[in-house]
Amino acid sequence: MSNFTISPSPHIHSGDSIEKNMYGVLIALIPAFIFSIVFFGIGAILVTLTSVVACLIFEFIIQKYLMKQRPTVWDGSAIITGVLLAFNLPSSLPLWIVIIGALVAIGIGKMSFGGLGNNIFNPALVGRVFLLISFPVQMTSWPVPNGFSTVDAVTGATPLAIVKEAVKNGQSVTDALASTGLSSSNMIIGNMGGSLGEVAAIGLLLGFAYMLIRKIITWHIPVTIFATVIVFAGILHLVNPVHFADPLFHLFTGGMMLGAIFMATDYVTSPMTHKGMIIYGVGIGVLTVIIRVFGAYPEGMSFAILIMNGFTPLINRYCKPARFA
Amino acid sequence: MGKKLESSFKNMVLVLFLVTLISSAAVGVVNSLTAGLIEKVQIEKQTQAIRAVVPAFDNDPMTDKYMVKASDNEEAVEFYPAKQNGELVGTAIKTYTNDGFGGKIELMVGFTPDGVIYNYSVLSHKETPGLGSKMDSWFVKGAKGNIIGKNPGTKGLQVSKDGGDVDAITAATISSRAFLDAVNRAARALDKDSKQK
Amino acid sequence: MNNWQNFTKGFFKENPTFVLLLGMCPTLGVTTSAINGLGMGLATAFVLVLSNLAISLVANSIPDKIRIPGFIVIIAAFVTVVDMCMAAYLPSLHESLGLFIPLIVVNCIVLGRAESFASKNKAIPSMLDGLGIGLGFTMALTLLGCIREVLGSGKLFNITLYSENYGMIVFVLAPGAFIALGYLIAFINRIRKTN
Repeated sequence: MSNFTISPSPHIHSGDSIEKNMYGVLIALIPAFIFSIVFFGIGAILVTLTSVVACLIFEFIIQKYLMKQRPTVWDGSAIITGVLLAFNLPSSLPLWIVIIGALVAIGIGKMSFGGLGNNIFNPALVGRVFLLISFPVQMTSWPVPNGFSTVDAVTGATPLAIVKEAVKNGQSVTDALASTGLSSSNMIIGNMGGSLGEVAAIGLLLGFAYMLIRKIITWHIPVTIFATVIVFAGILHLVNPVHFADPLFHLFTGGMMLGAIFMATDYVTSPMTHKGMIIYGVGIGVLTVIIRVFGAYPEGMSFAILIMNGFTPLINRYCKPARFA
Repeated sequence: MGKKLESSFKNMVLVLFLVTLISSAAVGVVNSLTAGLIEKVQIEKQTQAIRAVVPAFDNDPMTDKYMVKASDNEEAVEFYPAKQNGELVGTAIKTYTNDGFGGKIELMVGFTPDGVIYNYSVLSHKETPGLGSKMDSWFVKGAKGNIIGKNPGTKGLQVSKDGGDVDAITAATISSRAFLDAVNRAARALDKDSKQK
Repeated sequence: MNNWQNFTKGFFKENPTFVLLLGMCPTLGVTTSAINGLGMGLATAFVLVLSNLAISLVANSIPDKIRIPGFIVIIAAFVTVVDMCMAAYLPSLHESLGLFIPLIVVNCIVLGRAESFASKNKAIPSMLDGLGIGLGFTMALTLLGCIREVLGSGKLFNITLYSENYGMIVFVLAPGAFIALGYLIAFINRIRKTN
């Protein structure tokens, strides 16, 4: 794999091959995937499979015929992009939209910048945001979890959207949440409306633990994001509990877990030093809460990560480690 | 190419004066030629918007226009009464809402004299393309959120989510609510106006 | 450089949008549909031809120190004329182009051609230069408008090609303009390189 161009040294994970880390991330994604199959049934499998296969095919075609390189499809990065893209989609999404998302993620998000290691933005998130803006109807019709039941899936709003609308209509957050019958245990297990991979907080946290033990990622980025969200949302909640949901709600709903653990920690698009990672994490946390509470969209995790991706080169410049000399 | 004019103070003042004089004269001439036509086009546009939402009429609703306030703390809406042979056949009301996803929405809503919605058209909006922007075709006859033929009365129309009988635009409840808010404002103003007579 | 070259260079070699990257504001702002791109391009071309002609005629009588304000006043007069004529004769197009018509005044292409070409050349070459650059701009805007209209709303020149429900709304919005323009420029650069 010597023909890869990875960002200039220092590297965080010297000695590891790309494959080893990439497949480690894939193993870490398994628990969340199992939860999503339990909640959303066959739809979760179909969307994920389509996304992964489409990402692999597009990567192969673009590398071989447009960039005229030796295709490196099996390094695992395209598979991860495919899985993460699928995890960010509703399980009921028509498959042709999934394929468009894969094309955008690989084609625009990754290959246009020169392939693995050169992309500025997380490819899976580029795909998701593109789809969210392009197909708002399909992308915001979330099936309520009902597993393999043959009854037609009911679509419902995500908890974040319910709260957002309630606040806009002048209701209190607690009333709105009570009306959905959503208990905190349901939120932690993931029994709620949402994209197929984001709902299962427990599954995602298991993956986080695995990646920490295997030293695939460090704790800095996810923990900083969680801490920032708790502090910032906590202050808002203390100021006006009627208007602002409590910090645990923010932590366990939407793409918070998925984004913080798997998307924000993408090697290529996140800062290289620990100090940089902390700045990056705080930025994501603050932006997410701001978008969720004050923005037009109910969920801001993906936008926040993309915005901070854009700042990563700047953060790396600012946090250059001291040279040994 | 000939010699350039020297940049002396006198030259600069004189040339700039001449350039602005000639330019403004040219603009003035074109303005006097087009002003009448521009006004006619705008009146025509307004009349067409009225014609689209009320039954056939033979008066000039533009000259009969009057303003009604639905309540004291709201902006007034414009009434364009449509008459056939001197008898009122409908009222086109130019109404608004500030609750749209992207801010203000302006509608022309036509009512028959008994308060039933005859038709509507969207005059201006800043809603999201593909979502809220569908309102120009969503609430028409035969479409999902049909409001034509309904009588909002003073109670007003509501989306089904809020207990009403109008289906909101898929994934655009806020825009749909705002749209109905504008329609209801017109209906309340119409009700108030008929009581005053 | 002969007159033919003065005319044709705006199409490809010095295309204001794809090569010089000038006038990006209307390029990204109005090209939500092919007809908008075409209308904006033609309005700009019209202003370019007339302002280039007028400026090449009077350039020698305008002292150097005040040439920019002088040029801008002339350009603004033509733009206002176009604005009023469009409002009178093409009201629907005028409405959809909105503020971008008056903004032709500050389009870098117009002042750029006045400054770099018309003020140094005779009337006929200046007009041809303005026409060429203007048509190059029109071509670019129409192409971008076509791409965004087809991908975004499933139509081309308002003729429905496929159901709007399958359109990618992002192409109607600003981010889609950047994406489409980026790939168009990449494509043109590729062609220019191989030539």
